[in-house]
Amino acid sequence: MASNFSEPVKHLARVLRGTPTFGRRVVLPALVAAVILLAWEYGVGLAHLPLMIIAPPSAVWDVIANNPGILMQQSLPTIEEAVLGFGLAASLGIILGTSLVLSGSLQKAFYPYILVLQLIPKVALAPLFIIWLGVGLPSRLWFAVFMAFFPVVISTMTGLMSADRNAVRLCEALTASRWQVFYSVRIPYALPHIFAGLKISATMAMIGVVVGEFVTAQEGLGYLIMFATSAAETPLVFAAIALLCVIGLALYGSVALAEIIVQKRLGVSITTSEF
Amino acid sequence: MKRLHPAIARCEGLSTFGLPIGLGVFILVAWQVIVRRAAVPQVILPAPTDILLSFDGILGVLAHHAWASGSESFVAFILAAILGATVAILLSMSKLVYEAIYPHMVLFQLIPKIALAPLFTFWLGIAAPSRLTYATFISFFPVALAMMTGLARADANALRLCRAVGANHWQTFFAVQIPYSLPYFFSGLKIAATMAVIGIVVGEFISAKEGLGYYILYAGSRGETAHIFAAMIVLCAIGLLLYGVTVMAERIMQAWWRG
Repeated sequence: MASNFSEPVKHLARVLRGTPTFGRRVVLPALVAAVILLAWEYGVGLAHLPLMIIAPPSAVWDVIANNPGILMQQSLPTIEEAVLGFGLAASLGIILGTSLVLSGSLQKAFYPYILVLQLIPKVALAPLFIIWLGVGLPSRLWFAVFMAFFPVVISTMTGLMSADRNAVRLCEALTASRWQVFYSVRIPYALPHIFAGLKISATMAMIGVVVGEFVTAQEGLGYLIMFATSAAETPLVFAAIALLCVIGLALYGSVALAEIIVQKRLGVSITTSEF
Repeated sequence: MKRLHPAIARCEGLSTFGLPIGLGVFILVAWQVIVRRAAVPQVILPAPTDILLSFDGILGVLAHHAWASGSESFVAFILAAILGATVAILLSMSKLVYEAIYPHMVLFQLIPKIALAPLFTFWLGIAAPSRLTYATFISFFPVALAMMTGLARADANALRLCRAVGANHWQTFFAVQIPYSLPYFFSGLKIAATMAVIGIVVGEFISAKEGLGYYILYAGSRGETAHIFAAMIVLCAIGLLLYGVTVMAERIMQAWWRG
């Protein structure tokens, strides 16, 4: 019995060792995901857990398949807030970060505050946005911008300052103007940092949108989650969470894709180490 | 490093400390003057002096809520640190397990885990345990992921050297991999310090009878904006304290490891 069981495992290990990249990087994690989903699906049934406590994947899928209308209706505001919020935070953050670095002394004045604002639990300010902007979309949107803005500013500033001194000096020696140095040296050096910041910002924008929807309780998937929780409709909660994950990963994925495209354009391959 | 002329050095010091302080004072004064001149209602934006004065009546209440949020954040942070490091070490024992689980950890790091908060209150009730578990849950991933990255990136030459001089698996692990992973572990801890407070506050938003998140929501619903700011100041102090403790621990660890 034991040898019967261990034989396929050994075979699998041999196969995985044989194809190091594809096998280990794609097949292995996919297998783990499949095992977890199966265990979840049948474990819930075997343990006689009520649907109210934890919904098996099939029940979640049923909800998604049977209520596409309501899920779509609640997804749209969430997508709109996430995309607009991230877009605004990214552009405002890059503009502010760049102008601070260009202006020398302003940078020194602002830097400690931006660093501290990065560390404090800004999420607690959500109720203030309701007071200022009401319970509608603008308040959730600007809260998401507020949450996602600081990582971009910090990373833009760090990136623009990280340019190789020798490269800058070489350009200056070749009588490049300040703008030429900026375009051809500082920006390429800054890009990996900016993209690392944008990736953090994409996840922060999602946090802002969801917390905003929790607190304002008007519309969106965050609202749907709160509503379904209070109604003990756990499969609906899981379905809304699954959609939120898809939206969050799509936002993150488009940033990662943009990074790859920009790197291809510039002909550099710079890997950012982020976790 | 070139030594600077004392006068220039003083100038440098003045601009790194003087400029931010000057800006802070300028913003506070401008805030005060604009709010007073434009007669902005207190509900929209209280002046800095209004916020300071608002501390007066609520110090006791604020201390009570601050203790709830602060102690919960701290416990969640410590739990996340221990669990994160343990799980990372266990998963890094086998290369196969590491490569099977690592992508899932990255995925979990990226999805909006904030959306899971209501589920925790649903499973564990509205008292402290549900908030603690949730805050531990969201601050666990940065620690585990950073530690796993660190353990995997230990210098290959140092590992080979250890094997060549006949060190066993455990000796290599403690003498090379753990020290290499410490900087990563601490950078994960720094993220976890902010995530723990976020987790507690969001938990308090959703369902709580105490804590600064609850108090901020309560003050917001009553239009007491000055109290929101007062509670926010205390919350920032808690967040920065937790972050500061992490930085201190990192310094001590570094000094100890070198000595």
